[in-house]
Amino acid sequence: MIALTIDAIIAIGIVWLALQTVRGANVFSAIIMFIVFGLIMSLAWARLHAPDLALAEAAIGAGITGALLLVTWRRVHVLEGRTPQVGMAARSLWLTLPTALAAALLIASLGWVALTLPAEPATAGELAWQRLPEMGVSNPVTGVLLGFRAYDTLLEMAVLLAAWLGARVVASELRPGALPGPAHEEVPLVGALLSLVVPISLLVAVYLLQAGGSAPGGAFQGGAVLAAGGVLLCLTGRLESADQTSLIERIVLILGLAVFSSVGLMMLPLGEPMLAMPGVWAIYLIETALLLSIALTLVLLFAAAPGLRRSS
Amino acid sequence: MSATATIYLLTAAAVFGIGVYGLLQARQILRQLLAINLMGGAIFLLLITLGGGAEGPPDPVPQAMVLTGIVIAVSATAFALALLVKLQDATGSSDLDPPDAE
Repeated sequence: MIALTIDAIIAIGIVWLALQTVRGANVFSAIIMFIVFGLIMSLAWARLHAPDLALAEAAIGAGITGALLLVTWRRVHVLEGRTPQVGMAARSLWLTLPTALAAALLIASLGWVALTLPAEPATAGELAWQRLPEMGVSNPVTGVLLGFRAYDTLLEMAVLLAAWLGARVVASELRPGALPGPAHEEVPLVGALLSLVVPISLLVAVYLLQAGGSAPGGAFQGGAVLAAGGVLLCLTGRLESADQTSLIERIVLILGLAVFSSVGLMMLPLGEPMLAMPGVWAIYLIETALLLSIALTLVLLFAAAPGLRRSS
Repeated sequence: MSATATIYLLTAAAVFGIGVYGLLQARQILRQLLAINLMGGAIFLLLITLGGGAEGPPDPVPQAMVLTGIVIAVSATAFALALLVKLQDATGSSDLDPPDAE
């Protein structure tokens, strides 16, 4: 009964926050509501026995996405010199009512279909469970990500790299590396805070990576936590945007894809299928490379800069 | 089907509908991106609940797919945000219908 009450509270919270995201009085409060929505979603993942997703949602869905949205909001709306207060009310009632009705109808039909959907008799997940011991890792999600659906994970890295390349291509020449510097004099506590938080983010990232084999965690969650440390260094002006991507940054950006592809091709001459994992060491090697690439790509996306360097 | 599964399936349906409503209603592109992200979140919730998350550890395959989906969503959002900044540089406005056009 208590469990059901918690589920109901989480569900109401999710729906209410989604509504607030859509109806927020201004864009800023809508973004804040969306970030809180992500945090409550991670509670839902925990309730649905998916702690890997809870970690990913909190670190990536709410954390990094929220930071990206806020920094873009600052660039676009604040630097535009006006914060548009036009909310939903700006649309005429004649448009709002039919849209709301159609959305309500959609909700009702989706809910009905979801509730009446017959359960799948046999799923790929059962096979994955059966063959998990062959992978040498006991976390089934890591096993599926790197063993049974390795193509997905490889191409996911390609998408992340493509997103950064795309962002670089369209990046504005007018505002190169519009990194938001601290607007005020440095507070003495900032340095002390950073010297605590940034090493901890590194520690947590490495822990998540190492734990990923047997417990919730993995390269994606770890990468996002490490990226959060980088974002903090950017926000406090410790890192500033460079004009070019340095050689080291280029290597780290493609490291995940490069290591994953080369390990994937390595077993090919031995008659194994492509992307077959030669052993547990390969899983950890790939995960380490993925973590570094993910973290740097996310920080560079946040900074909207070709590269980063230490502030002088 | 357990009560927990029912709750989360209905939540997913509601959030998806709210996302569609927000996407159609939003005047600012940032709001549209938020709405699309809400819709994505709803789909993830649906996948995991249908994968048996309410009863015990859900099917690891949908879990891995959703984990991939979360990373793809942040990649796509980041690219869209870069396009938004570019749009503002090109047109001077980040809204769908700039005030001077009305």
